Amino acid sequence: MKKSLFILVGLLGFSFVLKAQITQDTIKLTPFEVRDSILKKVPYLECKILKEQLDGEDIRDVGDYLRTIPNVSGVRKGGVSVDPVIRGFKFSQLNVILDGGVRVENGCPNRMDPVSSHVEAEDIENIEVVKGPFMLKYGPALGGVINLVSKKPHPYEKFEIHADALYGFETNWNGQREHISVYGGNKKIYFLLTGGYRDYGNYQSGNSDGHDTTFNSSFRKYNYGAKLGYSPKKNHSIMLSYNEIHGRDVLYPALPMDEKSDDTRMIALDYNVVDLSSIIKSLDVKIYYSDVDHVMDNSHRAGWDSKQMVSVVDASNIGGRAEMGMQIKKHKIFVGLDYENIYKDGARTMTMLMMGTTTVKKANLWKEAKTQNIGLFAEYKTLFSSWELDAALRLDYNTANSEDTLKLIKNEVEYFNDLPSNYLNFSFSLGITKEIASGLYVSLALGRGTCSPNMLERFIKLMSVGYDNFDYLGNPQLKPEKNNEADLTLKYVNDKIGSFYLNGFYSYVQDYIGAVMLPSSVIMPQTAGVLGVKQFINVKSVGFTGVEFGYTTAEKYKWGGSIVAAYTYGYIPTVTKYIVTGGSVTGDTVLKNDALSEIPPLETTVSFFYKFLKGKLVPKISARIVADQRHVSEASYEPYTPGFALLNFSVKYNIVKYVSVAAGVNNMFDRAYYEHLNRKIIGTTGKLYEPGRVFYINVNVKI
Amino acid sequence: MKSKFLLLSAFFALYGLYGCKDKQIEPEPAKEYGKVKFNFTHLVDGLPLDKDTMIYTNAAGNNYEVDQLMYFISDVTLHNSDGSTKLIDGWKDINYVDIDLPAKLSWSVYDDIPVGTYNSISFTFGISEAKNITMMYVNPPEVNMMWPSILGGGYHYMMMNGKWKDTANVIQNFAFHLGIGQLYHSNVINTDSIYAFVQNYFNVELPNSTFTIEKDKTRQIEIIMNIDSWFKTPYVYDHNYWGSGIMQNQPAMQMAKDNGFDVFTTGLIQ
Repeated sequence: MKKSLFILVGLLGFSFVLKAQITQDTIKLTPFEVRDSILKKVPYLECKILKEQLDGEDIRDVGDYLRTIPNVSGVRKGGVSVDPVIRGFKFSQLNVILDGGVRVENGCPNRMDPVSSHVEAEDIENIEVVKGPFMLKYGPALGGVINLVSKKPHPYEKFEIHADALYGFETNWNGQREHISVYGGNKKIYFLLTGGYRDYGNYQSGNSDGHDTTFNSSFRKYNYGAKLGYSPKKNHSIMLSYNEIHGRDVLYPALPMDEKSDDTRMIALDYNVVDLSSIIKSLDVKIYYSDVDHVMDNSHRAGWDSKQMVSVVDASNIGGRAEMGMQIKKHKIFVGLDYENIYKDGARTMTMLMMGTTTVKKANLWKEAKTQNIGLFAEYKTLFSSWELDAALRLDYNTANSEDTLKLIKNEVEYFNDLPSNYLNFSFSLGITKEIASGLYVSLALGRGTCSPNMLERFIKLMSVGYDNFDYLGNPQLKPEKNNEADLTLKYVNDKIGSFYLNGFYSYVQDYIGAVMLPSSVIMPQTAGVLGVKQFINVKSVGFTGVEFGYTTAEKYKWGGSIVAAYTYGYIPTVTKYIVTGGSVTGDTVLKNDALSEIPPLETTVSFFYKFLKGKLVPKISARIVADQRHVSEASYEPYTPGFALLNFSVKYNIVKYVSVAAGVNNMFDRAYYEHLNRKIIGTTGKLYEPGRVFYINVNVKI
Repeated sequence: MKSKFLLLSAFFALYGLYGCKDKQIEPEPAKEYGKVKFNFTHLVDGLPLDKDTMIYTNAAGNNYEVDQLMYFISDVTLHNSDGSTKLIDGWKDINYVDIDLPAKLSWSVYDDIPVGTYNSISFTFGISEAKNITMMYVNPPEVNMMWPSILGGGYHYMMMNGKWKDTANVIQNFAFHLGIGQLYHSNVINTDSIYAFVQNYFNVELPNSTFTIEKDKTRQIEIIMNIDSWFKTPYVYDHNYWGSGIMQNQPAMQMAKDNGFDVFTTGLIQ
């Protein structure tokens, strides 16, 4: 605590030293989160969260925060790095990128480090979330796009320098976070320096059921980075970015190992031109390189003395994109290409200490695996009468190979081979929006997103990477998934009444990547506590359908509120269920129209706020009500999840021009609950609970 | 010309009719299957094992008791009366048996077994060399059967732990363990002296194991381990002679292996 206070005082002191160079920058404390860009006339659901909305929020983890967006949920395996899920689509079915194109290949096979964990909330300028396979310019998108845009420096008329500092503290975890950024520059050269530190302990679940449980969920992360911009002439800019983010002793009670260390480095170079000619309105070129060194082990687990597992993975991604924007009268055209080259290599070393002897076994998880994807894309937008048309198409050539030596053949069935795979994928979307009355819009979007299997699905060897207790084996011959989706959306915007939207969607996914159990006579698991081995396979088809509703009051009033609700239903027409008796598979049966696993239940969030002191003081109360999830996968023995209701309260106070405070309490009634997508505690059937009641305070100084 | 056309048409029509008839393939009779379940029973001198109790006397005159018994059988093969065989490996080909774990005293086989009459059952006691891979098991209880790499690796075929009264009437522990044996230079029992390994798994033919498989029915077959047989035929095994542990004693394991041929019998088939 003393250390925290010292850091806070230090940050404040540093901030005030810079006070002499104050400019007109002010803290904009937006009192209410408009979760959906209702005002945008795109034919699909696009949600943009601005920096002002992030400020003051209690965000220990970006993935955790994304779960506040309707129909966005997350897979929790520990205290941090919640892996986002949109409408039941997850992992590489989502195109999660940084700064409109930087990709980071997760080092951990268990996705301890999804892309969203490689950026901290304090460094984010805005978050863009697109649901469905409609936005194709950022890469192949099957279920949606999440674009995490970081803060960037910009030119100033004359030299200026500024600083932001943040200190946040949370009870329950005894967690603290500190962050500072210094930025400034002149007309030609501008810069941004950032650094942050997070140190969180283990959290306790709520005790509404009579007892609380402490989960081994502590983590420590720190990050730093720099951005340097240069404007050689008017309308031209170049920016060089370098960021590092490091994790230490990040515990994951729902995984067989914990993150010992994760070291991620990202470097990017951007070149941007606007108004090149009367037709060419923009040109954006980006190249990047990201590298992840990930080490995990079970040294924090009880079995470390007799069985030690250590996995070391090196993952890198190098690529770039170029996009040109053109406008001819009412016609806007964007064309471009992108490229990425993923490399992954890693091994697991198991050491068994039994009967006075030590046995060591080393096995590769990936062996110099490579995936390359080159894509061409185009977007077209136009207006005619009261209609707006959006069209996009994308062509990808995807190739993958690995230096694996594993060949798994039994009874003439080839389960795993070392053959490379190449795919030519075509994606497109077409949407129309019609203003049918003043402020009332109806949109129809049709899209087909095609996405090649990822590195894990193709080449992983025997790691428990699923939600169930099985080791998973990759399948180099997987085919790409194709999502054929239709979205129908009704939007209404009125200055006095507010805004609402109603969306319904249906997805028919072909060659969906699922998994099937493999006999132990073919392959044995390698992870302690798992029941067997599953291999990724293409399922002929699955379906997703759902609805989403949102309403927000008009912004002109002192008071306001919102209500959002979302529901997704996922099913698989035909699936094999394996009958397990006494821990052994004794038979199988075919099920019709079984539920897909890991589909979030119906939920709704209602919020109210009031702006006091001309908006300087804004208290807000919100209730989140989540229904039972009883539509669960019978084939996967997925348990049902009980519903719950939470109440949160927060207040944001802009004390003076430079200082703001946000405080609040989450899970006010200390409810013991877990989300349906939370993973099980490894080796048990019990789920990882969410934190109980948490009081928090964030102090933000900006000069 | 017209008549030629008609003639040709008639020819092709007839050919087509006969051709079609000739090409009709007799549908293959649908294969019918049943299931099989093995129940494992452990007897001493013809009676169910009463473990942790020193009430038994072996052929060498040792008073003894059995406290723990775990073993693997693998590659179980059903021999059909028509000469065909059915290897049980559809889901698993190695089965672990443990007298302390009720779930491990039966095995409901995943494989579909073709209906018919089967003359006999055979299996490998232990695990064959090709399949006995070090660290292939990661979970208990099987993982606890690990055989040290330095002694040959893989897994124990059997662990029978118990006690016997030595010649001075002192109760001693015995670990009647079977696995990969070692050959030592100059018979010096030191791991540095190992120059070769010996695979001690062996094949078992279950006597009187005729049974039938009926469609959609499960045939339950009792496999009995007669524990006392490990110690008597063809060689009398004396705990006082071989001592407590035999993992590094290939002659003792060889004797156990030789005695193993009649350890298993068939019990109730229902």
